[in-house]
This record gives sequence, structure tokens and C-alpha cells, in this order.
Amino acid sequence: MDLSHTPEEERFRGELRDWLAGHVPQQWHRPGFWASLDEDEAFRIRREWEREKALTGFAGIAWPKEYGGRGGTPGMKAVYDEEMVKAHAPATVNPVGLTFLAPTVMAVGTEAQKREIIGPLLRNEVIWCQGFSEPGAGSDLAAVSTRAVRDGDEFVVNGQKVWTTNAVHGDKIFALVRTEPGASRHRGLSLLFIDMHQPGVQARPLRQMSGASEFGEVFFTDARAPVTDCLGEPGQGWDVAMLLLSFERGASGVAQYTEFRRSYDEIVSVLRRLGRAGDPVARQRLARVLVELECLRYHSMHVLTEVEQGRDLGFEASLSKLQWSETMQDMWEAFDDALGPEAVLAAPTPDLDLTSMQRAAMWSRSVTIWGGSSQVQRNVVAERLLGLPR
Amino acid sequence: MFFALDDEQRAFGAAVRGYLAERFDLAAVRAVVEHPGGDGHPATLWKAMAEQGWLAVRVPEQHDGLGQGMVTAQVVARELGAGVVPGPWAATVLAGEAVLLAGSSQQQAELLPQLAAGELVATVALRGPCARYSLGGVAVRVGSHGRLTGVAAPVEYPSVAARVVVAARSADGGEYGLYLVDPAAPGVWVRELACYDGTTRLGELTLSDVAAVRLETSGSPAVAALLDRAAVLTAADLVGVAREALTRTVDYDRTRMQFGVPVGSFQALKHALADLHVGVRMAEHAVLYAAHALDAGLADAPLAVSVAKAKASDVALQVTGAMIQYLGGIGYSWEHEAHFFYKRAKREAGLYGSGDEHRERLAALTIDS
Repeated sequence: MDLSHTPEEERFRGELRDWLAGHVPQQWHRPGFWASLDEDEAFRIRREWEREKALTGFAGIAWPKEYGGRGGTPGMKAVYDEEMVKAHAPATVNPVGLTFLAPTVMAVGTEAQKREIIGPLLRNEVIWCQGFSEPGAGSDLAAVSTRAVRDGDEFVVNGQKVWTTNAVHGDKIFALVRTEPGASRHRGLSLLFIDMHQPGVQARPLRQMSGASEFGEVFFTDARAPVTDCLGEPGQGWDVAMLLLSFERGASGVAQYTEFRRSYDEIVSVLRRLGRAGDPVARQRLARVLVELECLRYHSMHVLTEVEQGRDLGFEASLSKLQWSETMQDMWEAFDDALGPEAVLAAPTPDLDLTSMQRAAMWSRSVTIWGGSSQVQRNVVAERLLGLPR
Repeated sequence: MFFALDDEQRAFGAAVRGYLAERFDLAAVRAVVEHPGGDGHPATLWKAMAEQGWLAVRVPEQHDGLGQGMVTAQVVARELGAGVVPGPWAATVLAGEAVLLAGSSQQQAELLPQLAAGELVATVALRGPCARYSLGGVAVRVGSHGRLTGVAAPVEYPSVAARVVVAARSADGGEYGLYLVDPAAPGVWVRELACYDGTTRLGELTLSDVAAVRLETSGSPAVAALLDRAAVLTAADLVGVAREALTRTVDYDRTRMQFGVPVGSFQALKHALADLHVGVRMAEHAVLYAAHALDAGLADAPLAVSVAKAKASDVALQVTGAMIQYLGGIGYSWEHEAHFFYKRAKREAGLYGSGDEHRERLAALTIDS
């Protein structure tokens, strides 16, 4: 057992901390600060801030230098994830690009794609959207019906995507589309890069139950994309999509732990202020959440160990996703339960505004759906890890 | 970052598992379970434990031990849990922990080599009947001339132990300590307690003005530290129970046919088993981390111990209950071994602090401070 990071990784932590200390304004620490801004304005500020960070060299931490990364270790990436949350740095505006697309491009992209995609993505010159879900294809992703028909050197795309993160701010979308008519469900798919700034692409925001619009829908009407803008071979889209989703499910545990643990402490402080911190039922409930949060932290150490040993997380990513998403949701349920009738009030006392916490609590209803619902993850765990029959 | 067992620790676990599979399988466990009047202490098994170093894990090399940390000790405990193995291994190892924590160098030199070699069977008595596992739950008092009076229960294997480490409170109640007692000494009365978990033997220890030797440097911190180590080793045993129960259940449901298909193909079972797998995995992490936290003296060790015991207790109860349910009728039968796992989980879930007790400690650590 050795839970330490290398001296090099700790030096990196120091450098990053120093930079963050000088570049994260105090007001950003305030819970609910970002929710208090106009959504487009918040997006613009974060996009610029993140670009500056990238230009300073704090982006693409564990990616090769030749593609614009920092060339660091997986341990440095874990340090980065932790420090960003600790410093109250804003969440990335390019999450699907950074977390899912980039590692997939690194794994299966052509040399030209690596050079063209990674650098601009890190510098926020291109905001990426993911076009997977459709009205008729949610958990059953292989049912996508958006079609791409070849016309000379281009594909012509028609169809609709939904639950698209950053749809209205997106520059490009990587979309799972049907390119091989007549091929069986999983075989006829391709992953296509489509420019969103063209007449054939229309994006609309979706208003969610929280009131916010992180997601949107994207309509393709004779949209065009060069045939070379395919990730992996045409027809291999399903395998590429599955690889990509494994990155989504195995998202950084240490960042999540740090963020959720902060929420836990916020919940505790609210209960104290409302005089509920001594309630034995609430204490049991919160301690149950704490147990799962700590387990998430240990699990992130396990995952980092596996990565550093050169092993692939594989289907265990589904286990990670179940742990973090179910725990996050349960934490906010515990909050509501402890508040009782006050749970639904924006401000149970005049000096206690709960709206930003309530927004986080609402968001937690989505995390057990996107990226493969908990029910889909349980199927994966049961069939792929436990070997139960299909 | 290396959050995993090293090759040596893995090999140690494999050796324990290998021995049990060959020489002390569930048929051997059954013989102990079905003979509740016996001492529950198979001699050949004890001899093997001694020869193979399972009892010497924590004893420093200078005292003829292997000088390993709690991480290696939890490897052994896990395998013993997986095999639902009877015998005073945990009791003897915990007595050794007490000597390590608070014995003088002379006491260590006298006792540790005997414990490591299996020549001395020992146990610990840290709590009064129906009390909490905390300093406040100690129901033995130190009287004049350091003699002990009071009750402790349940104590593991009091009838085969030649030495008992007893936690006791000073006459003014302010200080706690650990004392060595010979159960054959005048004033000691051992009453066997019938217990539905046949993979151990329990008793109640009543002391009436009994001569005792104080572990020289013991005080309240040593008693608290011993309770934490006991909680971690018990959590490790529970994790072993849980993992094995889950594996056996999955194996059964993969092949058991109903409605013309394996029952394991039904999502009602798949989803429940998947959640249990996630739970066991987390409990495995938690026990590993807690053991390391104690070895390394990490600041969050008390929190880690309670996380591990709370998680392991819960998940072992869930899995062993599910084992009975997802085996169907056969799981409820005496002839099937499911009840060995279920009953051992029941006993250990409460031992050295139930999930609820450890959660209350976590609440105190994170809400009150």
C-alpha cells in the first residue's frame, strides 16, 4: 500500500494551487454564484477562464504534448481533478469533449484527427456536443434512426438528437448515425463529426425539471459532413460509442468525492442552523451517505492504481458509475428527508437560501439516467462482471 | 498510488484459501456446527494455523512472528470469513494486539512468541453484557491490589483460552486498562452461552475479586485502539463471508433452471445481485483502507474504521439474506450451507459495534465537530 503521489506530482499540485489561488475570484466560492448568473453569460465567462487556464498549460494533463496536452501522469490528472474542485474552479464548459471524445480520439482516431481535435478542444475554440440519444433511442441506443447518406465526398444527415449537453453553445457534434442501410442494428452505425454552424443544423434548449437548460435537442435537415470526418471506420460506430461510454462511466472519482463531500458538509451546516443536527434518524441517514462517499474515495484510489498498473477499467466503469450516481442522489434525498416540510421552501428562514442546493438536488435525478441509466449499468455489472446469463 | 495488496499479501491469502479448500471445507465446518457441545476448536486446524503462520502475522519478527501489518491480518481474516471457519484465531490475534499495544517489553517477550506459535490460546473480554462496544460499555472494575470484579460477554472461546485480556475500569471510573487473567484462577466463572452461529463458541466471564496482571502501559487509548482493531478484523471476516456468499449465489443462479431458463437471467435477480456486487466491492475497499489507515497512523483512521465496520456489517447481512432468498427453498434448509454464512454474518454484524453504532460515531465525527 502506498497512497502517496510522486514528488513530481506533488510539485505539480503546488504549481496548480498557486495558479488557481490567483485566478479564481473569491465570489466564485459562494454556493449558488453560477446559478445566479444568466446562463449564456455564465457560459461565456467559464469558456474564457478555461481557455486561459489551458494556455497556461493546465489542461490535457495526462495527454501527450504533441497533441497539446501537458504530458503528465495519471496521478497528476487525479491531483488536478482534486485541486480544481478544492479551489472552487468552475466546471468545464467542454465536458463531453474533454471526458469522452478526447480519450476516444486518442484511442482510435487518425493522426490527423488527433492533431485537429485535441488542441482546439483544450483551448475551447471548439465546444463539442454528443449526439447519441434520440426520441426513439434512449437506453436502447442501437435503435438510433438518424440517417447519413453518402453523396460524393460528403454524408447528408437527416434526423434528430436529444438530451444533448451544451446544444445551443456547441460548435461541433459527434453523432451516432446510421450509414449502412440494411445492416443489422449494431452494425450499420458510424460516429460522425458534424459542424453545427450550417443551415441544416438547428439546436434548441430543453428546459429541465430544475428550470435550467444544460441539455438541448438538435435537428438535422440535409446537414453535411465530409466522409473523412468519421471516428473509426464507417460501420464501426457501435464499438467506438461503447468505448466512449466507458470513459463516461468511469469519470473521475476523486473529483466527485471532493465535490460531494463539500455538499455533505453544506448539508450538515444547514441542519445545524435549523436545529436538526441532533436528530438520531437524520444522523443515521447522513452517516449512511458518508459511508458511501468514503467508499467512493477508496474506489477512486483503486481505479487510479489500476490505470497506473496499465490495466483497463473495462466493465468495472459501470460499477463506478452506480456508486457515484446512486450515492449523489441518495445524499440529496437524505437532505430532503432531514428537512421534512421545509425541504420544498426556497428559504426556510429569511437568512437561509436553499435554492442552489435544491438545484443540485434536482440535478441528481438526472445522473442515474444519462450515460446509461442505473438499470442499464446493473445489467452490465450482472452480465459482464458476474457472468449471469443474458 | 498503490491501493491494493502486494504480491506477497496476495500469495498469503491464496495459501490460506488453498489450505481451507483442501483440508477444512464446508463439510468440516458442518461437523463443528452440528456438535454444539464440542469445544469448536479442531486441533488439526489450529496446528495448521500455527505452522502456516496465520497466528504469527502481527507478531514482530523479534518475537518469532512475521511482522506484518493489519493489511496482511485482514487478508487472513477475510479468508477465514469466506470459509466460515471456526476456531479462536481472531480471539488469539486480538489478545496479541492488546499485548502489542500495551504490554511491557517483558510481557511482549513472554507472550508474543507463544501466541505466534499457537502454544497459547487466548481471547479478549472488552464489554459487559448488552452494553456498547466503547469505554462506557466495560463492566469490570479494578478493586484493591489490582484485582478484578465484574462481567464480560459475549467472549469468544473462553473455555479453550488459557489467557484472557480483560478491559477494566479503575475504581474511580476515570481510567481504563487491559488486564491479563487466567480463566482457571480462583474467582473466575465461565458460563457457556448457546449461540445459533455454530462456527464459534461464546461464553460469559464473571470475575469476583480475581488476581490479574495489568498490561503495563495500557490506558483508555489502548482499550479504544484495541476496539478499533477488533472492528477492522471483524469487518474483514464479514467481507469474506459476503464475497463468498455472493459468489455461491451467483453460481447457483447461473445454472438453476425455472420457466425453462436459468433464474439468473431474470432482471429481478440480476439487478439485486449487481447492487450487492457493488456493495461488496466497496466493503472490500473500505476494509483495506481502514487496515492501512491503522498501519500508517492516518489522521482519518477512526473514521475509516467505522466506515469499514458499518459497510461490512450491512453488506454481509444483505448478501447472506439474499443468498437464502435467491437459492429458494434449498436456501432455507439445514442441509444447505447458506445458514452458516447468514448466522455468522448476524453474529459479526453486531460484534465490536453494529452498523448503527458505527454510523453514530461517524455522525459524531462529521456533524458534531
